[in-house]
Parts: sequence; structure tokens; C-alpha cells
Amino acid sequence: MTTLLRGRAWVFGDNVNGDDGIIDFSRVPDLGAVDVPALKAMCFERIRPEFRAEVKAGDIVVGGRNFAIQNHMQAGVAIKACGIACVVVESCDSGFLRKSLNIGLPVVVCPGVSGIAVDGQDIEVDPATGRVSASGSGLTRSTRPWSPEMLAIWRSGGLVGFARTRFRGLPGGGA
Amino acid sequence: MGHTVAQKIIARAAGRTTVEVGDYVTVAPDYTCAQELAWPLRQRFMAQVGVDRVARPERVVLVVDHTTSAAVGSNYHRNHREMAAWAAKWGVKNFFGAGSGLRHLVLAEQGYARPGLLVFSDEGNLSSIGALGALNIPVSWEVVMTMLGETNWLAVPPSARLRLEGAFGPGVLVRDLVQAINRDFAASGDLSQCCIEYSGPAIANLSIDDRQALCAASYHVGADTAIMPVDQRVLDYVTPRAKGREIIRFESDADAAWLLERTYRLDDLEPSVTVPPTMDGVVPVRAVAGRHIDQAIVGSCASNRLDDMRATATILRGRTVASHVKMYITPGSREVYAQSAREGLLTIFAEAGATVLAPGCSTCWGYEGALGPGEVLIGTHQHNYAGRNGSREAEVYLASPYVVAASAIAGRIVDPRELLAEESR
Repeated sequence: MTTLLRGRAWVFGDNVNGDDGIIDFSRVPDLGAVDVPALKAMCFERIRPEFRAEVKAGDIVVGGRNFAIQNHMQAGVAIKACGIACVVVESCDSGFLRKSLNIGLPVVVCPGVSGIAVDGQDIEVDPATGRVSASGSGLTRSTRPWSPEMLAIWRSGGLVGFARTRFRGLPGGGA
Repeated sequence: MGHTVAQKIIARAAGRTTVEVGDYVTVAPDYTCAQELAWPLRQRFMAQVGVDRVARPERVVLVVDHTTSAAVGSNYHRNHREMAAWAAKWGVKNFFGAGSGLRHLVLAEQGYARPGLLVFSDEGNLSSIGALGALNIPVSWEVVMTMLGETNWLAVPPSARLRLEGAFGPGVLVRDLVQAINRDFAASGDLSQCCIEYSGPAIANLSIDDRQALCAASYHVGADTAIMPVDQRVLDYVTPRAKGREIIRFESDADAAWLLERTYRLDDLEPSVTVPPTMDGVVPVRAVAGRHIDQAIVGSCASNRLDDMRATATILRGRTVASHVKMYITPGSREVYAQSAREGLLTIFAEAGATVLAPGCSTCWGYEGALGPGEVLIGTHQHNYAGRNGSREAEVYLASPYVVAASAIAGRIVDPRELLAEESR
């Protein structure tokens, strides 16, 4: 599996709130459930009203500082459900990165990405090498590559697939 | 180059001599702690993976804290039942049912949070245990991984040092310090994914409750976790609760590297209010004084400890909550609840017209005390974004227990120092 992703960039500014921006917490009645169609329908609804209608499978979200600040895991579910292949941000908390990786949505922290990405133009992201290139500006930034374990979780489609392999053969584990 | 406390705690849990910032390491946390609200998703994960086991039941701590009872129409009875049944099936004795209190307080009071230990949990605000020298790593639903197995990965965070000097002036509480830090860093991203290590001479005068409040609120700046030095006050708190279990004292080396250093002089702080909808919207209370309120709340993992109950009672004693204001007070645990009763604080609350709720997260996430359009809440909650507590058209202001209680009496936002001055006269 290649780790290089290329897609059209949706560029967001700084401090996009997870619960009040990516999704709308007031419309998530049960945090013990994941209503994918409902989450997909509300994704970026207030801050980028055209997103839902225009987003295409394989597009990439570019976030600024503190992307998804104050997030529940439903934020990543909403983004992934829209077909977004990858999220690359100036900064975010580790929780958002882990929650998203675990559902198979790669989140790459790359300081400087806001300065090179152009909205609507293609951007390339490779979590394995940490290389981020924006075709609109022709500029490249480098960030810390992911660990082999993070790549394995991603390749497994998320934590379910990864855990099936990890716990296979253990007492109480799958066949 | 020296190492920070966070690095040393992680190195121990990784079975290594040292770890460097940015290293990806595999660690075995001393405890994994989870709550019930999202428990159905944990169960679903285990079913999808096809695994049914617990590697180390003694290292798992489960607490019912978000939903202290199941309302008609909710699924919460299912969550309570399934989590309790799972704990029983696998011999997880560290199970605390509805009304026990928040994970944050349970971990501290029951002696799980001890200096030098690493805890994986489902939320960033559990960095409250950093006050006791234990390091919280928030991993959301990955808590299941270190229940089924023993280890999981993490990236060693950089540490930032916030140095505290001086002492709080009249009417100023630790939440005002929290707000000052949020004002400076909540929107900057400068502390993203770091461990905040608090230091400085002012810590010696902060109570264990205050220290937990400060650490519990550290995640608003994007930090992953927080830690404090282990002094005699911490040892006096932890040692009897540890009941002989391991306590490991780590200190940061003098030549440790810091992502950022900043000093806060506590004397410079004044009673302040965080204006919705962002965490950096912090102003002196006078800037919003006079704002009409509908609801006043003392509770949440940042402000539900005995010190918060006492501060609230100081204001409410002999006074009455304005007739148009609903006031809710939530003690953070049975221990806090019982001690509040012994000290007569619950009587003061009742006589003032406030409602005491069962120990839990309660109003902070909209489980109780939900707001309608146009309603205004002032509280010690952790969040103020639109829709957190019901209607998106409601407003949530954040402040200290002093400001909240004084505002409840007045029916509008007020500076608490006038009432406090009356107290001391």
C-alpha cells in the first residue's frame, strides 16, 4: 500500500472547534453511539456551508493551529464519512490524531502547512516520510514521520483491524 | 541534556532508562481508566475485534460518572448495566458505580493516582492527577487496548514550564489562574501536544484541590497532559491512600529542555470571566458585570472539590439565590459530598436555595441543567462553546466559584469582592 496521498485541499483557518465547528455537539444525542449519516450531514456545516455539497472522495482537509480543539471522536467520524482521505494541520491535540487514526483517518501534524496549501488546489501528504507538498504554491514542508505502529493501524483500516492481528491467538482472542 | 518528569515517568513505563522527546515508545500504563457514557462503543469494539479478555484486571479502573441515573428515554441504564457486568465478568474490582464521583476524584481519593505512575484514560481533563505526580495520557476509546492487552504506543511529549510565583489576592481563586493561562495560550497552539509542568514557589501554598483544578483545565490550551512537583503536601495526601502501593518520586533535571517557559505572578490576577464561545475570551469580571443570568453552577472536574464547596458556601452563607436563578452545585465525589455534609455546607446550600446534585459530571456536558434559547449560564464548567449545554442560542460564561456564587445571589454577573469584604467585616 502506498502511503502517498494526493487530493484537493480544503483549507481551514486556526482554532476550528471540534464539537462546535466540525460537528454540532448539541445535535449528538448519545455519545455512546455513532450516527454516521447524521454526523456526515453536519460536517463543517456552519463554518463552510458549501463543503458537504462540493466535497469529493479523496479530498484533503488542511487545518490551522489547534484544529479540532475540544473534540469528541465523532468529529473524525464526520470528516471521514465525507470521503476525506487525510487531514493535515498546523497543530492539534494528540487525542484528535489518535481518535481519527483509529477509524482509519490519517491526521498529520505539519507546522507550516497553512503557509503552503492553496484552497482548491492539490496537496500531497505522505505520513510515512512526513513530506507535505502543495501544488498550488509549489512549496514543500517536512514533518516527523509516523511510527511503524501508526502506519500499521492505518493500513489495517483502523484500530479494529489492527487489534484483530495483535490479539490473534491470545487466550480470549480471535482465531 | 537532562530529562523532564514526563520523560522519566514514560521511560519507566516503557522499561527503558531514558526516552527522548518525539520518540515513539511502547508503554505499559499502571492504570487504565474509563467512564460509562461511551461504554457501548467499547463493547462494540471488543465484539468487532473478537476479543474477550482482560490482561490485568487490577490495572483497570471503571467509573460511572457522566450519567448518575438513567432518565426516561435515555440508554444510560444499558451503559451502567453493561459496564458493571463486564467488570464483574473479568474480575475488575476497581469498579465504581453511579454517584461514586468523577474518575478524577476516584483516582485520587482511592490511591490509584500516585507519584511516578502512568495512567491511560479516555479524557484530557484527567490530567488532574498530575497534581499528585501521576501522568495522564488521554487516548479516548483506545483505553480498550490496555484493558485487553498490557501495552500501547505513545509519542513522548515535549514539556513546557509554567512557573507560579506569589499568592492569590482577595477574591481570587485558582480558576482565575486557569483563565489567565487560557487567555494567553488557548488560541495560540504554542502548547499543542505538550506536557505542562507547573513549578515555582507558589505551588507550596496551593491546596491539593487547587492543584488538581489547575491540572484538570490544562487541556484547553491543546496540551496533552500536565504534571506538578511532588512535595510533602502531596506525600501527606497520597501515602495513606496508597496503602503501601508504589510511590516513585521524579524531578525534572536542571538541564532539561523546555518547549516554552512562562511565569505567572498570582498577585497580578483578578476575578475574571471567560466569555462565550471560546476559551481565550477572558476578561476582568467588571467588563461583563451586570449581565443577567438564568443559571449558576458549581461543578465539573475542574471545580467540584471540597475547596470549591467551601468557597461557594463562604458566599452563600446567610444569603439567598435570586428568585429567577436556578443554582446547581455538584460535589465531585462521595467523599466530598460527605465532608460537605459534616461541615454544614449542604445546609448552607439548601437554605440559600441552591440544588445539590449527585456526584458526577452532571451539568458540565448538558446531562442536567440544560439551557433553552437565550438563557445565560455562569458556571465553573470546563467548556463554553455553543450547544455544549443545550441550545446553541444559550450562552455559557465560565468563572470561579466565588464569581458564580456571588452572581447567583445578585441574579447578574458581579465581582465577588464586595460580598467577601462584608464577610470579613
